[in-house]
Amino acid sequence: MEARLVELLAQYFPEAEHIEVTGFEPIPGGYSRETYRFDAHVRTVAGSEAHPLILRKDPPEAISILQTSREVEHDLIEALRLHTSIPVGRSLGHEMDRERFGEAAMVIQRMHGNSQTSDLFHDGPDTHQADDVIRHLCEVLVELHTADISTIDPHGRLADPRHEGVDASSWDAYMDTTIEYYIRSFPTINYDPSIISVLDLFLTLRREKPRPLPLVLVHGDFNPANFLYEGGRVTALIDWENSRIGDPREDLGWMTTMDILSNSNVMAHPVDEGGFLAYYNELTGFEITQDEVDYFTLFGTANIAVPVQAAIKRRIDGESVEFMHLYLAQSAGGTLPNLLRLLDYPGVPQ
Amino acid sequence: MLEGVLISISSDIIPNLINPKAHASAQMMQSIIQGIRQLLPVYDQYVAEEHNQMMEVLRNVAGAIDGSSAEAADRIRERATTLGAGDEVPVPLDREVVMAAHRKLGLALQATIIDLDELQRAGNADADAGLEIVRAHMGPRLVRDVQTFLVGDALLGRG
Repeated sequence: MEARLVELLAQYFPEAEHIEVTGFEPIPGGYSRETYRFDAHVRTVAGSEAHPLILRKDPPEAISILQTSREVEHDLIEALRLHTSIPVGRSLGHEMDRERFGEAAMVIQRMHGNSQTSDLFHDGPDTHQADDVIRHLCEVLVELHTADISTIDPHGRLADPRHEGVDASSWDAYMDTTIEYYIRSFPTINYDPSIISVLDLFLTLRREKPRPLPLVLVHGDFNPANFLYEGGRVTALIDWENSRIGDPREDLGWMTTMDILSNSNVMAHPVDEGGFLAYYNELTGFEITQDEVDYFTLFGTANIAVPVQAAIKRRIDGESVEFMHLYLAQSAGGTLPNLLRLLDYPGVPQ
Repeated sequence: MLEGVLISISSDIIPNLINPKAHASAQMMQSIIQGIRQLLPVYDQYVAEEHNQMMEVLRNVAGAIDGSSAEAADRIRERATTLGAGDEVPVPLDREVVMAAHRKLGLALQATIIDLDELQRAGNADADAGLEIVRAHMGPRLVRDVQTFLVGDALLGRG
């Protein structure tokens, strides 16, 4: 792997006389892509320089949870880096030819900062930074949600990145076609009759659409594990593979869900601004209500539930032997009580 | 036996893992095994109880939309008089027979909420009450499943 990596890096550092890769090791925690950290030592006539990098590689198709494009992710990251002040690591390039690494891959800059964001909450060592970090995180999200879509996605590839017939030409069309995609996908996730609550979720989303808001570029997996911080600031927003054109409330709803699953507390900060939603509203003027966030908590849960539950079903049906998918069957249950509560199921603790 | 596997993973495997991804995988294995340990003692009893309760739910939903005359309402009544009118399962039980019957009723509830959704979108208020009956059955049951099977309070292997 390292030798092939050096070959690829030679394309990104054409002036290099010699490239050496050290410290190559997998990074735990990526549930959808395989990630490896390493340092590239690049020697040129001007001297030597060490580059902290990450190889981000697709898993084999049979066990992949989300089918996304490294090329699209590369282009998005570079557009954000060049046209906004959103902190993202540089994407050096992508390799779509499976010959080199077995699957498509990309190389990105490894950003500095603490990725153990659980340190910010409860009795963690960085609780004193929580308000400042989350305040900045909110400002970063607002910049993303107000970015000019035609600049960031000039070819419209983020309008329907899963190629499921989503129509992002208007808010109503986007919501209707996305929910139809969820409902149409139900047979691919229905591994047990108890999945009935997910079916109920899809049908309820269709019946109870909220008021429209302008469509924006959403991160798509805005959660406590996808940012790094240092000195009271966010140093990087990472993992852009599920990014797409969508409703801005999707990111707020998904963070609410993942706060529960991750045992974190992002949405309660910054405390002096009245929490994440209040500060977001102050910055955007969107006046988003908690009921709307609740709807999009369900909507975002559906968006991730489709590929995740489909992967679990493929594992249960014996189409793959991926251990992670068994674990997801157990851990995804953590979202269920909140889902039932938001759907007003009787007998579920509020 | 499962406790022995857990102890072995903790004492024999995890201390010898230097790869952080392998370490996280080992913790996930422990989590799943612990969940199964919690689920096993109560699983068959849950299945039998749920089977009998789902029959009652099908009958109650049919009662809730009694005055409706749409095709979806007819399908709901049909389920109540077939699947909902069968024999309740005894405990102790014939496991394979009950599992098959339990699955059949579960799928019938799925079909029922699709029909209820059709009625709701047509403005039938009785269907709201029907959905409430299904949710009142599924809510506590699903929460109980989660409480039985879930281990820990956060996703392993993430920040």
